[in-house]
Amino acid sequence: MPEFRYSNVEKEMEVYGYDGVVKSHCRMCHGGCGVLVYTKNGRAAKIAGDPDCPINHGTLCTKGLASAQLAYHPDRLTHPVKRVGPKASGKWERISWDEALDTIAERINGYKRGSGAESIVMGYGTGRENEAVIYRFANLLGTPNVLTAGHFCYGPRIATSILTCGTNPIVDYENNPKCIMVWGNNIVISNPDEYKGEPFSVALSNGAKLIAVDPRMTRIAARADVWLQLRPGTDAALALGMLNVIVNEGLYDKEFVKSHVYGWEPFVKRANEYPLARVEEITWVPKEKIIQAARLFATTKPAGIQWGVAIEQQINCADNDRLLMALMGITGNIDVPGGQVLFQQPRIRNVGHFGAHRMLPDVQREKRLGGERFRLAGNFGIINPKCVWDAILDEKPYPVKMLFFISSNPLMTRANAREIYRALEKVDFMAVSDFFITPTAELADIVLPTATWLEMDYIGDFWKRHGYILPRRKVIQVGECRSDHEMLNDLAHRVGQGEHWWDNFEQALDWILAPMGITWQDFKKMDYIRGERVEQKYSVKGFSTPTRKFELYSTLLEKWGYDPLPQYREPLESPYSKSELCRQYPYILITGRRLPGFFHSENRQLPWMRELHRDPVVELHPDTARKEGIREGDWVVIESPRGKVRQRAKLFAGMDPRVVSAEHAWWFPEKKDAGHGWDESNINILTDNAYENCDAAMGATHIRTLLCRISPEKQEGGLS
Amino acid sequence: MTKQALTIDHEACWGCRTCEVACKQEMNAPDGVRLISVLEEWPRSSDGKLDFQFHVRMCRHCEEPPCAEACPEGAISKRADGIVVMDFDRCVGCKECIDACPYEAIDYDMSRGIAQKCNLCHHRVDKGLLPACADNVCLAHCIYFGDPAEMEQKILEKKKMRRGWGETIPKAIAYSKGS
Repeated sequence: MPEFRYSNVEKEMEVYGYDGVVKSHCRMCHGGCGVLVYTKNGRAAKIAGDPDCPINHGTLCTKGLASAQLAYHPDRLTHPVKRVGPKASGKWERISWDEALDTIAERINGYKRGSGAESIVMGYGTGRENEAVIYRFANLLGTPNVLTAGHFCYGPRIATSILTCGTNPIVDYENNPKCIMVWGNNIVISNPDEYKGEPFSVALSNGAKLIAVDPRMTRIAARADVWLQLRPGTDAALALGMLNVIVNEGLYDKEFVKSHVYGWEPFVKRANEYPLARVEEITWVPKEKIIQAARLFATTKPAGIQWGVAIEQQINCADNDRLLMALMGITGNIDVPGGQVLFQQPRIRNVGHFGAHRMLPDVQREKRLGGERFRLAGNFGIINPKCVWDAILDEKPYPVKMLFFISSNPLMTRANAREIYRALEKVDFMAVSDFFITPTAELADIVLPTATWLEMDYIGDFWKRHGYILPRRKVIQVGECRSDHEMLNDLAHRVGQGEHWWDNFEQALDWILAPMGITWQDFKKMDYIRGERVEQKYSVKGFSTPTRKFELYSTLLEKWGYDPLPQYREPLESPYSKSELCRQYPYILITGRRLPGFFHSENRQLPWMRELHRDPVVELHPDTARKEGIREGDWVVIESPRGKVRQRAKLFAGMDPRVVSAEHAWWFPEKKDAGHGWDESNINILTDNAYENCDAAMGATHIRTLLCRISPEKQEGGLS
Repeated sequence: MTKQALTIDHEACWGCRTCEVACKQEMNAPDGVRLISVLEEWPRSSDGKLDFQFHVRMCRHCEEPPCAEACPEGAISKRADGIVVMDFDRCVGCKECIDACPYEAIDYDMSRGIAQKCNLCHHRVDKGLLPACADNVCLAHCIYFGDPAEMEQKILEKKKMRRGWGETIPKAIAYSKGS
């Protein structure tokens, strides 16, 4: 896209007197955008997008531009600390890296000897591209328990796509999709995994048709040719309705279905169980609109579905994902230019290989927490968080003694925060690696200062599915901060895993790249490498599934004892499933809409980001606000059967009056007590993590819809 | 002299607010002072349906700037290329310009006791660089800088293109927006 190539690097250097500029790769969200970091006197002085990067073409987001504000933040932890008072006392003392890592190593070896390696749980959140090193460490240690967000974020896409077609199908924005269906996603604001908002936006600028599936009117919904405003949590029913139209109107790709689909007949039978009258009743979407969207999607080619996490944080998680893949598959959009492509990585050692999953002994794998209960998750190394809290609190099926959270703030981001607090309070030993002492870290024994992306060398987008890898080059050093990769490489030697690690982490990067015949120093000189692009690979080799077909009917799910066909289940807490409860809690609460500036619980302390959005905000329809006596800007109490929190009201007309939308992951770094307001506005005080409230196969906790009531907050003195 | 102006294709704006932070990085305006900001709008279309879009609030660099007229210190002037520049050093903080601006595009900087507005990065423009917000930061590519007439033409072409693929869709299922 040469017309967008503005940034004049030489002039910028000359005018501002920068002494250097480094090309690197941002990771203020899941990563992905190429950046230019201008430096002056050894400091990062300006961040800009890299016009040569195929992911963002020089554009960037609010978070990326604020990277230096994060790196140099005055509250940032820049050396290891140990807690010297009771938990949550906020009393910390500086220690050396040696003392910190020796203490952690001693604990790890002690628990492994006394209670087994499985009593040590490693964890990350969305991951700061440290996922592969954490899994490597855990697998070599012998613990099958790595607690991530993978049960309800991205993990389900990987697991279900491997079941269905071998790998995650990605919208091929570089080849002009002519129809894009955005399903429960706000790619221009959120933190998408492979391609970013820019190429999506360019595809629309080139005239692509747009279908939006969202309970809220986003700008994407407002611009859409068809907007399906569904009842929150009914995605699977809507997808089945669309499939019903496509099947019965014969709009599917008959050749693809005949030659490459497994389970067509039972699948058609299942789709026929969802006639449009029933689907309209479930989803609140008029059937005419469903027909309109289904026809537009099925007949405009190539087409893609931009999907994301919202459909995964539901009880129908795995089936939601599978149904969207069914839509991609039967319309003939898999692995065609501009459609939904199964990209190949360059020939490097991949994350699975690096993660050393094969080194975990079977006898240990069998001890994976919840592995028997959530068998799809268990087969992909993923666990449900409640299994860990239960193992700490009830010591069943065995006691968990140690937690090691590396870039994770579960107190803010996992369901049933009060239970998590009790578990973190009780656990014998906890270490955390993070940028700040977060509410979770306040309950730790040792906190390690981790590096931002500006402070590390790494292979960016190592785990992505768009086929690119891009060099992340170290630009600055802040205090004693170390990347999680270097930290774990060091710790591995101290716990006796040294033979499987390296003298320094650059050697690990060399090892990953070795099959291509290059080293990190060679890669550093490149902009990016992309894997080979081969269209319709399946026509020669079939799909990487047990039947070599595109499995609408999953033979693996059948083997593991689940319904092999996707279905819709009513959420456990909805106006229909809990009509009695609905009288006391009359609104459907949706949680976690994405905001510019924040990445889950991150960035509330960055001035530029907080200025964009100062307070937690709950959106409600003006009619609802009038009914409840709430005005714009009022602090209001949101209450579910499990608790209550406060957020500020914003009247928002683009939503059904029966729906209320709250933000997630709010804490207040400016509050200097050790709680940092973790339970004031934290929506996970309200969410339910009961096992029945999770996807039966994937263990995804249903946190995106629940029942609530809402009222103006009574001010002190009893006035409302 | 060639006219220089910043033109925004509001229809294309996604509300990502990157322009706001690009401005902060360049100007380092204090907390609460926003030389560019993105606001939500809820216009109704002709058929009464609610629409949702974003509007970028910033100095319009007016042909006859009322702020310049209102300023008793003569701190605001329009250059030959059209850029309206406020000299922060000459501002005494009387707020007359803030009252005079019909676009609410001037903020009061309490920390310095002066008014502040977008000067269209004239310090960059004069050195051959683009204003920070227009330097290809915007993921919608909806911020244009250059000769205003030329930019308007470009935006019109973009709008046409956005509705482009229509003819490839069978007639029976060609839909108009919001139908």
